[in-house]
Amino acid sequence: MAGEKLQIALYWGAACGGCDVAVLDTNEFILDVHAAADIRLWPIAVDGKYADVEAMEDGELDLALYNGAVRNSENEHIAKLLRRKSKVLVAFGSCAHLGGIPGLANLASRDEIMNVAYLHNPSIEKGNTTLPRPESGVNGSTLTIPEFYKRVYELDDVVPVDYYVPGCPPAADRIKEVLQAVVSGGLPVPGSVVGANETALCDECPRTKNEKKVKAFHRPWQVMIDPETCLLEQGVLCAGVATRGGCGARCPSSGIPCRGCYGPLPGVVDQGAKLLSAVVSVIDSNDAEEIDRILDGLPDFTGFAYRFSAPSSLLQRSVRQ
Amino acid sequence: MTERRIGVYVCNCGTNIANVVDCDAVAEAAQSLPGVAVSRSYKYMCSNPGQEMIVQDIREEGLDRVVVAACSPRMHEPTFRRAAEMAGLNPYLVQMANIREQCSWVHDPGETATDKAKDLVRAAVYRAACHEPLERMAVEMCPDTLVIGGGIAGMSAALELADAGNRVYLVERTASLGGNVARVDLTAPYLDSARDMIVDRVTRVVEHPNVDVLLESELERLDGFVGNFKATLVRRSSGEAPPRQVVDVGSVVVCTGYKEFDAARVTHFGYGKLPDVITSFEFEQMLKQGRIELKDGRLPQYVAIVHCVGSRSEEFHGYCSRVCCMTALKYAHEVKSALPKAYVSDVYVDMHAFGKGCEDFYRRSAEVKTLFLMYGKGERPVVRRADPGDDCEMLLTVDEQLSGELIELPADLIILMVGMEPRDDAGQVAHLVNISQDKDGWFIESHPKLDPVATTTDGVYIAGACQSPKDIPDSVAQARAAAARILGKISRGKLEIDAMYAEVDEDLCSGCRVCNEICPYSAIEFDEEKRRSHVISALCKACGACVATCPSAAIKARHFTDAQIFAEITGVLA
Repeated sequence: MAGEKLQIALYWGAACGGCDVAVLDTNEFILDVHAAADIRLWPIAVDGKYADVEAMEDGELDLALYNGAVRNSENEHIAKLLRRKSKVLVAFGSCAHLGGIPGLANLASRDEIMNVAYLHNPSIEKGNTTLPRPESGVNGSTLTIPEFYKRVYELDDVVPVDYYVPGCPPAADRIKEVLQAVVSGGLPVPGSVVGANETALCDECPRTKNEKKVKAFHRPWQVMIDPETCLLEQGVLCAGVATRGGCGARCPSSGIPCRGCYGPLPGVVDQGAKLLSAVVSVIDSNDAEEIDRILDGLPDFTGFAYRFSAPSSLLQRSVRQ
Repeated sequence: MTERRIGVYVCNCGTNIANVVDCDAVAEAAQSLPGVAVSRSYKYMCSNPGQEMIVQDIREEGLDRVVVAACSPRMHEPTFRRAAEMAGLNPYLVQMANIREQCSWVHDPGETATDKAKDLVRAAVYRAACHEPLERMAVEMCPDTLVIGGGIAGMSAALELADAGNRVYLVERTASLGGNVARVDLTAPYLDSARDMIVDRVTRVVEHPNVDVLLESELERLDGFVGNFKATLVRRSSGEAPPRQVVDVGSVVVCTGYKEFDAARVTHFGYGKLPDVITSFEFEQMLKQGRIELKDGRLPQYVAIVHCVGSRSEEFHGYCSRVCCMTALKYAHEVKSALPKAYVSDVYVDMHAFGKGCEDFYRRSAEVKTLFLMYGKGERPVVRRADPGDDCEMLLTVDEQLSGELIELPADLIILMVGMEPRDDAGQVAHLVNISQDKDGWFIESHPKLDPVATTTDGVYIAGACQSPKDIPDSVAQARAAAARILGKISRGKLEIDAMYAEVDEDLCSGCRVCNEICPYSAIEFDEEKRRSHVISALCKACGACVATCPSAAIKARHFTDAQIFAEITGVLA
């Protein structure tokens, strides 16, 4: 079955499906991929069962792209399986790279999540007490479902990862580049972030930058955004200063502030902390009360600063009881 | 990384450390740390034999890093860096662990204190392993100086520098030199003529070949750094397109002085309403004109002098203006000498006579029959018009503290001793030359005791009353001290700049400009062409603000890299 063709697998963990769609967004290029590679597993697009993967030799796959975070025991099981079966494992997209949007669940405890999802919620029948459990007995037999973990992990918390392709989702052009690099053997040293730049988004953002002095922060819908100048200078919270470029600055070019999906810059330990220090640094005031007022314009700062990176940050998760 | 050869030296500081910490045990524990080649405990590491021990070990044991566990690095880091340098080791390869101020002085003797000292030494060893050799920079020192303000302080600084053969640009906003001293008649406590003093200085300054006096001029902009400033000076008098010139200077002395407190802000003395309630500066004017008289031309029979107007009050300025008490005594003398039959009363809160010759002057003033009345700091003497039957123009009611009596004092002329306050544009000046102001608005010196005329911006000095209220001798002393500091730098020719500063890695900088405003020393500039920020290392004080701010981790502080700090944290927790 192997022959000359590359053997590849694509998988989604705790994900929204956007990363898979992004692969399809490469349009007709996907046909070139198909010509060069056998796609052995891709739940969203092609057939292929876990059992087929389990039956493979170790290292039989040349490449596995894992998107999504690790939320439950199934995600972890498949991550470990693909790690064993694949020569190269790529954390594909923000969730696998840093924990992503599902990682925001780490700001709440498992009980709080279960409570909202199954017990106290307007869409739930009053009096419901049923919670999902890993094992339940039905008519004398035992049914199992994956265990819901206490927190969300990024992929390299559970398995060693060779490369990281950031983005929510990764830009189609950059996906092409990465896949071409795999085919041509042009990948950098393992452990690298690929398909992204080494400098912040600002470097490729077309907006003009001046010295930043901000008297108030706004959500994008609260102000008329000037199309030419830096969003942060206009008081619109933009994460671009603390985020890798490589996406082509699509959001700020369209008047939407960067949300930080391409992750921290090389050498940065904690993207949210860096974003926090950058944002407070541009506040133009020395008056404590005024500063407090300005900071009040930052609703859910944790959610903003750690939108994609909570599980991989120094914070990791909330442990408040 | 090749194996380090680190030398660890645990100082006993006599008994300062050894009484609390088991120094021998600390040295022994350090012996087994990674990379440690030598570890010793010694009575006084800063002594000559102590330093010699380090020098010898570097040479004979081939040490490449040195850790000294002793006092605060503020105390002896330069000492041990010099020792390393003497042995041919880069001084930045030395790290200190502070086991005195941060350990023995704040803990009781015992095992816990010893354990903490071991932790601190371990942190220092881990950190030292990551140290990199750094070179200090040498920059040229321009011998020309800009002096801002042509008062007694500015002129004194200018003359001191010019007499030593250096060019001085003396910028004065008004049309004449002399400042506030030129508004004064005699000076306390020796009753010398201020005019003589000023005329002599002005003449010398104006005629000096090395001094360029720029009247009706201001500093508009200051760029550059110590030894290499570019000052843009503008002449304000000449209408719409004021002529500008840019001069190169190595140093700046700020001598912008003070302004007097506006007596109209205090209502209970009737200033502005009662014609013969005047300020001390208005009285000086009268003295200079040679006639003490009332508004209607009559001579006053009763003269009252009121202290602390605007000073030492919760409502206005909390500080003492320092010169008013002696000036008030001077007025008593001058009134008595002009009008021997006049009654002079001096209404004071506390008599501050701390200067040289001042206590004698106070005694002599009492001898010329001045009536001293003390009022309380929170109290308010109140002035009202006298009744027609009274033998005076006004009555001043004082709750006299020493007698405990409420005294009504006749007065024809009331002199309000107005205090000093920062000039209205002190904030702009501070911003221009990048220095700070205290809560009252006075410029802040580098160290209140040990570095009184330097500021936190290298090459910018302050002298005279712009720093805080002061008298003529103190102003002159500061001006000459500033000149001496500058002459010292000029005589060395080149300036050595500390090797610790922040650097931007241009490959990582995104040009986001978040750091541009954060630097308290204005050391960051943005290169529009490259679209990258850049730290002017000579201006950088290595405070680290930009390092923490940079969201790209593109700015690194030399000697305080992330790797070094994390190594230190790992060490203390290991």
